[in-house]
Order: sequence, then structure tokens, then C-alpha cells
Amino acid sequence: MSSPVTASERTVRHAFGNVLAFFVLILIGVLAFSIRLFSVIKYESVIHEFDPYFNYRVTQFLTKNGIYDFWNWFDDRTWYPLGRVIGGTVYPGLTLTAGTLWWVLHSLNIPLSVETVCVFTAPTFSAFASWATYLLTKEVKGPGAGLAAAALLGMVPSYISRSVAGSYDNEAVAIFALIFTFFLYIKTLNTGSLFYATLNAISYFYMVCSWGGYTFIINLIPMHVLLCIVTGRYSPRLYIAYAPLVVLGTLLAALVPVVGFNAVMTSEHFASFLVFIIIHVVALVYYIKGILSPRMFKVAVTLVLSIGLAVCCAVIAILIAVVASSPTKGWSGRSLSLLDPTYASKYIPIIASVSEHQPPTWPSYFMDINVLAFLVPAGIIACFLPLSDASSFAVLYIVTSVYFSGVMVRLMLVLAPAACIMSGIALSEAFDALTGSIKFHLLGFSIENSQAGAGDASPDNVPAQKNAVKSDASENTLKERTSRKSKKKEKEREKEEQDGKSSLKSQIKRLQVLPFEASIIGVFLLILLGAFYVVHCVWAAAEAYSAPSIVLTSHTQSGLHVFDDFREAYAWLRHNTEVDDKVASWWDYGYQTTAMANRTVIVDNNTWNNTHIATVGTAMSSPEKAAWEIFNSLDVKYVLVVFGGLVGYPSDDINKFLWMVRIGGGVFPHIKEPDYLRDGQYRIDSQATPTMLNCLMYKLSYYRFVDTDGKGFDRVRQTEIGKKYFKLTHFEEVFTTHHWMVRIYKLKPQKNRIRGKSKKSKSKASSTASSTKRRINKNPWL
Amino acid sequence: MVSKIPSLAALIPLFLLLASTVADSDLAAELLALQSRSESGVIHLDDRAVSRFLTSPKTPRPYSLLIFFDAEHLHDKAELRLTTLKNEFALVSSSFIANNQHNPTVRSKLFFCDIEFKESQSTFGLFGVKSLPHIRLVGPDLKSPKDSDQMDQADLSRLAESMAAFVESKTKLSVGPIARPPLVSKMQFIFMVAVLLICTPFIIRRILAGDTLLHDKKVWLFGAVFVYFFSVGGTMHNIIRNMPMFLPDRNDPSRLIFFYQGSGMQLGAEGFAVGCLYTVVGLLLALVTHALVRVRNRSVQRFIMIIALFISFWAVKKVVYLDNWKTGYRVHAFWPSSWN
Repeated sequence: MSSPVTASERTVRHAFGNVLAFFVLILIGVLAFSIRLFSVIKYESVIHEFDPYFNYRVTQFLTKNGIYDFWNWFDDRTWYPLGRVIGGTVYPGLTLTAGTLWWVLHSLNIPLSVETVCVFTAPTFSAFASWATYLLTKEVKGPGAGLAAAALLGMVPSYISRSVAGSYDNEAVAIFALIFTFFLYIKTLNTGSLFYATLNAISYFYMVCSWGGYTFIINLIPMHVLLCIVTGRYSPRLYIAYAPLVVLGTLLAALVPVVGFNAVMTSEHFASFLVFIIIHVVALVYYIKGILSPRMFKVAVTLVLSIGLAVCCAVIAILIAVVASSPTKGWSGRSLSLLDPTYASKYIPIIASVSEHQPPTWPSYFMDINVLAFLVPAGIIACFLPLSDASSFAVLYIVTSVYFSGVMVRLMLVLAPAACIMSGIALSEAFDALTGSIKFHLLGFSIENSQAGAGDASPDNVPAQKNAVKSDASENTLKERTSRKSKKKEKEREKEEQDGKSSLKSQIKRLQVLPFEASIIGVFLLILLGAFYVVHCVWAAAEAYSAPSIVLTSHTQSGLHVFDDFREAYAWLRHNTEVDDKVASWWDYGYQTTAMANRTVIVDNNTWNNTHIATVGTAMSSPEKAAWEIFNSLDVKYVLVVFGGLVGYPSDDINKFLWMVRIGGGVFPHIKEPDYLRDGQYRIDSQATPTMLNCLMYKLSYYRFVDTDGKGFDRVRQTEIGKKYFKLTHFEEVFTTHHWMVRIYKLKPQKNRIRGKSKKSKSKASSTASSTKRRINKNPWL
Repeated sequence: MVSKIPSLAALIPLFLLLASTVADSDLAAELLALQSRSESGVIHLDDRAVSRFLTSPKTPRPYSLLIFFDAEHLHDKAELRLTTLKNEFALVSSSFIANNQHNPTVRSKLFFCDIEFKESQSTFGLFGVKSLPHIRLVGPDLKSPKDSDQMDQADLSRLAESMAAFVESKTKLSVGPIARPPLVSKMQFIFMVAVLLICTPFIIRRILAGDTLLHDKKVWLFGAVFVYFFSVGGTMHNIIRNMPMFLPDRNDPSRLIFFYQGSGMQLGAEGFAVGCLYTVVGLLLALVTHALVRVRNRSVQRFIMIIALFISFWAVKKVVYLDNWKTGYRVHAFWPSSWN
């Protein structure tokens, strides 16, 4: 075998492979970006849903006023009259990212609007995320698996659901940050380089800036470190990978205003500190083991162990004391419900009631990761053959995330990258084995030729050779991990040895083949599976996850019908009301009202003040007059209700009404849920309770409704309404949108108090005065 | 004495007021004494006691009674949850007493009682109790026991907490926080810590030597695949929601339903079945790529591989079919419109 020829051939082939991989990655990026554009093509380039509107508004503020004003921003347009400190209560990562993107584009003289940048931030970052997945999987199992995993992640439905164009939310950038942080951790673990360790801490900082899910990282990495120590895999590389991350990462995390001292005070972070201590003790043990003779070491072990144990016990005792002193044992409700799945459903109904926090059933997995669910076990097994530091991390990642996703459907998003990595590994290994066998059968003896003779450049030979190179490369990376600290000379010698070994190994591997026809069927079925995945993902992106929920469409026989009532209503508010007018609505529409109508709202989707929300809930569930008094005390000028009864839009205020009653009743006990239910049933037809038929929400929703069809038939509740003809005394209708989906009412001005001097009116006035007095204690704003 | 008082009271109205209050406070004191005799503060009533404390005294009585209707022969029926509810009831009682330790006037306003069906059937009839679990609150002003407030299912859903909420809303007395006994008692905890401390050196030695169960890769492998199987089949959903393994068919009670249509809910057996289908494909794929390649015999290889491929194909097809059936989604591809 003439080694210089093969070596140069190998470099050429290597270069060719790299270029190919590069182009494949670019295509994957394009795929990841473009599969998320269905929402723009089918609807329009618009921000989606509720939270993204808030993020959009914050980004607008940032681009207009600069970073310092953003940091110190006190928003008086929301939670009137309290206001909200925005700079200190948001995760700024997303906003800063989009703001920076906008700024860079503008300095390049590309005049995109802030909205456009915000709409396309999520697709851009999903392309980045798939590249990060490539890097991570490459560190675990080589470039082939990396490419497969990146392609899978580019179109995994679970991730698409949170990152379609227009879905401008924290998760959009956070998933990229998550994967990239894991990649840098593994990279550091494989190389032992302080450079990557520092990058890792910075990447962790970016993750902390972007999403509350960073606690997953700061618990998963310590778990992996502990696992490595317990299974006897401690190495200096592990120390380099972990210790700087904890020190730098915690310091950086504390810089983010939302996190602040939580980075050292809450139980979510304690695991990392505990492992930090353990790794130091272990490092000390290994160091002493290195400088002492085995016999001396045994003596020393007892000494060190006793001291170490004492220190550990002391620290644990302190930790327990700190934890036990806080009422929830230092854990937030959400993390507790992850550890003990039945916790939330028992004790925190408000967390259990959110649909994102429900435990998923098996179809959710099929919807969100589709055929990857079949491939993951194969990936897990592949990671165990052989088990390296990196692959053990991948296994730990999938196991924890799949458990968490089982508890809360929302965390399916964290599972998706892990499932893609595992499936990528499984697919790549399966294709290796199957195509390898096919090649062997087709080219049969030429392999022996190539082994005996020089590597002639016959096209038949290329794949087999490539295979050899591949296995060689993976061997290399494996070896490198164990022999990084050795000097160059040693390395070269080792490499020669390796070459010998790997050629021997590949010889053995070539003998491991499968039957020809079965392999062909296998390849065919795998491709079929992949095709099914692509079809499913495209379908999910196009049909299931692209609706912006601000514009609704429905297909009728006469064609496509568009419901654009929300923007119609917000535009009306913006053009027809005073700048300082206050608009009351249920909290769902708070973010949209401030962002699109630019009017002050009472409550919004950041539900930080329960009493305030309860006040609005109470007003909505009270009779007209009491409601008017509450709203008037809050300086409210307009009340906005969402009503779907005419067109059959099910998530309207009447369907949310029981929550208003419950939340209102939770703070103001004169609102009682049973008053609104007839025999435990929620109904608005003629059987409804008088309290229900007289409450503000009913009246504002169904005012003049009977004029539409003469019967007052509600299409959502599928029934005729109970009270059809009534007049409003304290409110007047000022605007109703085209399909009646949003109705805006104005509070009638206060009546002149001194009306006349007749006795009758006097007594009337006194009676109203006394009634207001009686209601004073029910209403905190009077 | 109690029966005499009304007749005397009819004669001398002034005396009435005095005597009845004395008698009332006597009754309350008697109840307090009974209460202190039981560990949780739940007073066991029978027909005689019911007439003495409930039906005979004139309204308004100075106290409310919260009565738990119990039937020992039904304790083994799991779906009634009688034992759980009884324990929770006792917990509310003991919490109420503990939280109002220094407030005797509040303590003597509300008493927790239970009645056994076999001893006091006439009381069951008096209250018109037809089904269990049944908890009733008899307020001070109530004349007929049948009019008393019944706790409905919603009030029992969150066990002691919701019972306490019910009591607080009806009686305007505060029960206060529910004090649940810790899962492990103090002695057990100390014992466990001691065992742990004794074991620690041995465990550490094993870890240093590098041979524990944790060093066995197969354990980890098995554990990882098992957790995956467990989660992906939606078992956590079944645990959190307390779903049964299967349901009887409504139309035909002799048949059982294993698969529930509608994506919001699933049954136990269903989860395990689909979890198996999810997992088996991956396991077979791993078998083919990592184990089967080492087999020397070509025909054995061929046979096993064909079977593996067939099973995998069937499993995927089955899951796709089940998913379409359960969720009602119709996944379709998007072809160029010129192809149609």
C-alpha cells in the first residue's frame, strides 16, 4: 500500500466530503427557513397571536429609543393605574436579537420595517438551530449523523409550531441557544479547551437572556457531570467543561434583570452548585492519586474522604436549611410539577388549567415528532455502542426531555431536538449498515482488490473507500478524546497505530454484511419512512401550525372567507378614541390592544397581578350598574368584548366567562360561581339564571343580537339566547365589527348629581348614594 | 333533664332563656368532651346521640355539625373512596381543632361527626341518604335534617382542602391550613439517615473500585429505553389523570373498550399498546444494524431481517391508522396543481 497516494486521496476525498456537507447544510438552512413561510403565503406577513404582539411592541420601543431607555422602561400604557416595569420583567434576548438584526440591516442600507424583521426572526433562527444540531450531533456520532439530524430538525413539527414566520416568541431563539449551548459543552468535553468553555458560558448567558427554560440546561449539565463521575469517567476535560460554566455562567446569568439573584437563591440552581463542590472533591482525589504511590494513596483516601464527607455534609445541611426556610421549598410551582407530576393537578389549579401544561397523550407525540418516535430507541442503542462522554450526554438529554414532555405538553419543544439527534444517529447507522451490505454484494470482490492493491480511482471503489474513511474518522474522534493531552509526537505514533487498527477493524466490519435483497427492502422502507415524515411535516406546517389567530379564515362553498375583525376593531380604537383613553377587556386582548390600538389597558397577558384581573372579572360578572361603577373608578372609557356567536368563533368571551367569574370570585367573594350555573351547567339560553342574564358580559355580548336573525341563535353554544330584548342603561354601543366578533362600548357619562329640588329626586339621589357606599368595600378602586 | 326543660320553659318565659342557654352550653361541653376522646376529634354518633344533639335541642343550636355517613361494609369498594375520604375528613377535623386551639368559642361552634350505617339506619333515613360518599352540614338554624347542606362531588374533588373550603363558605368559620402528617415519621427519618450514613463509606468504596450496578452499561440502556417507552405512550397522562386501563362499553356492558376515540384522552391499555409499537420499531432497527450484522449464517440473517422489516412496517402502519382514527386528521401531501 503506497501510503502517500492514499493520504493525498484521502485529503481530496475529505475536502470533497466537507464541501458537499457544506452545501447540504445550506440547503437544510433554506429548507428550515422556507417550510415556515406558509403562514406568510397563506395569510400575510403579520405577527401572530398574543405574546408576540408584546414582544413586537417592546422591539419597536427598543429600535426607537435605544437600549438604555429600553432597560429602564416603565410602561404606563398597561395595568392602569399601576403600570409595569418592562425592562426588569422581560427576558430581553429575543428583543435584543431582533433589534440588533434590524440595526445591522439598516446600517447596511436595507430598510426593512421592524415588523418584517420580527416576523422573520423565528424562521432565521430555526435555520441556525438546524446548523447547531449538525454541530452537536457531529460531536456525538460523526458528520453523517449530524447531517441527518440537522435535516430532521429543520422540519420537525413540534419546533415549527413555535417558530413559523410571525410567531415572534422567546422559544424561537431559545431553542437555537439551547442546542448551541449543548454543542459547546460537548465540544469542550471532547477537546478540553478553555476557549470553548468560555464560549459555552457566553452561549449559556444568551440562553438565560432568552427563555426561562434555561433551568433545563443548568440542571441537565450537572446531572451529566455527576453521571460521568459516578460511572468513573472523570477527566480533566470534564472539569474544564463544567467549572468555568458554573462560575462564569452564574455570574452572567445574574446580570439579566429577570433572573438577578435567583441565579443563586432558588432551588433550580442548587444542583449545579452541589455538583460544583463534588467535582472539586473528585478532582482533588484524582490529583492526589497522581502524585502519591498506591499505598500512600490508600492512606490518603481515608483522610480526604473523611474531610470531603464532612465538607459535603456541612454544605448539604446548609442547602437543606436554606431550602426548608422558604415556603415552597425554594421550588417554583412549575418545576415542582415536573418532579412530582401529580403536584400541579392537586395543588395549583391555575397551572393545571393552562392547556400548555396538560400531560400529552400518545397522538401528540405522533403529531409533534412523527416517525422520529419510532427511530429514537435505535438511536439510544447506537449511543451505547460505544458509550462516550458525548453520547452519554445525548442519552441523558433524550431521557430527561422525554420524561418532562410526558408531564407537560409544552416541553415537547425541548424533546424535539433530542429526538432529532437520536433519530439522525439511528438513520445514519442504519443506512451505513444497509448500503454497506448492498455495496459489498454489488462490488463483492473489488473490496479485497482495494485492500490488496493500491487505491485506484475506479468509481466502484469510491464508496467503499469512503466508508473506510468514515469509520476511520469516527475512530479518530474517539481516540482523540482519550489522548488529547499527549504531545504531538505521541499523537503521530498513535495515529499510525490507529491506522493499522482501523484497517483491521474495517476489515472485520466489511465481513459484517446483511443479505442483499433484504438490505434493498430495508433501504426502501427507510426512505419511505423519511418520505412520510416530510409529507407529515409539510402538512403540519401548512395546515395545523400556520394560522396567525389574528386573521381567521374559513372555507365555505362560496370560497375562502376571511375574518379580519380584530384588526378592524383595533384600528377603530386607534383612529376614533383619544390617545389617553383607557380600554377594558379580558386580559387575553391586553397585549394586542396596546400594540395595535396603542391605547392604555387595565390588564394584559402578563398576569402578574391577580387582584387587578379579578377586578375586571368582577366587573364583567356584575350587573350593569355595578360594573359601570367599577370601570368608572378605573377611568375606563371603553369596554371591548369578543363575541363569536354570530360566526361560530368558539374562543370568545362568553366561553371564557366562567374563568372571569372564578377569578373574580377568588378575590371578591360576593361573586359566586353557582349563581351563574343552572344545576351545575353553564348555559345562556332561557334556562339560564337571572344573575347570568343580567351580568355585563351577557348584555354586552348579546345586545341587539336578536336584530341579526330575528331569533337570537348563538352558533357557538348552538342555542337561542335567553334574554333577547333589553336596553343598556350605563353603556352605549359605539362600534361593532363586520362579523360582530369584536364589540366596543363606551361608558355613558355620569349623570348630573344635583338634578332638582323636588323631594322625590332627592330621595332617589340619597338611595343611589347609599348603594354606592355599600359597594365601596366590594370595589378597591373607590 | 333535656326533655324537661322545654315544658318548664313553656311556663316561665324568663327561665326559658337562661335554662336553654345553660343546656346548650352543656351540650357543647359534652360534645367537646366526646371530641377530646377521639384522636382526630371526629365524634362517633349513633341514633341516640343524633336525637340528643341534633333533633331534640331547640333551634338555633349553638353549634353546627358536619356529619360523615360511613358504611364499613362498603370500604372495600375502591370507586367509592370511602376510606380515603374518611381519612381526609379526619384531617380536616384535626386541623380545625389544632388551628383553633386558643379560640374555644370557635372550637365549640363546629363539630365533626361520623355515623355508621349498620348502627344507625334510622338516622340515614332521617337524612334521606341514599348513596355514599355523603357528607352533610347541619347548621344551627336548621329544623329538618333533610334540608341540610350536602357536599357535592366538586367539594370532594380536592379532598381535605375542598372540604375545608366548603365548611368555610357555609359556616363562616375558618378552618385554617390543613396539616397533613409527613410521609415519613421522625423516627423513620432518623433511621433512614442513619442507614444512609452507615452505607455511605461502602458505597463510596464501590464507586472508587468501579463496580456498582451503575457501571453496568446494560442497566443504563434498559433504563433509558424503558423511560422512553413509558413517556412516549402517554403513561404520565394516565397517572396524572388517574385513567383506568379500559372502560366497559356503554352499549354492550360485556365488551370492553381499550381504545378511546378523541385526542384529549387515552386509556391505560391503549398507552401501553402504542408505546410498545413506538418502541419495537426502533429496537428492531437497532437489532438489524448492530446485532444481525454479526451473525454468520446468511439464511438466518435473511429470515430474521425479513421478519423485522415486516413487523416494523406493520407497527408503523398500525400507528398511522390508529392516529388517523383517534384524532380525525387527514394528512395529505401537496402536489403541483398541474398533476391533477
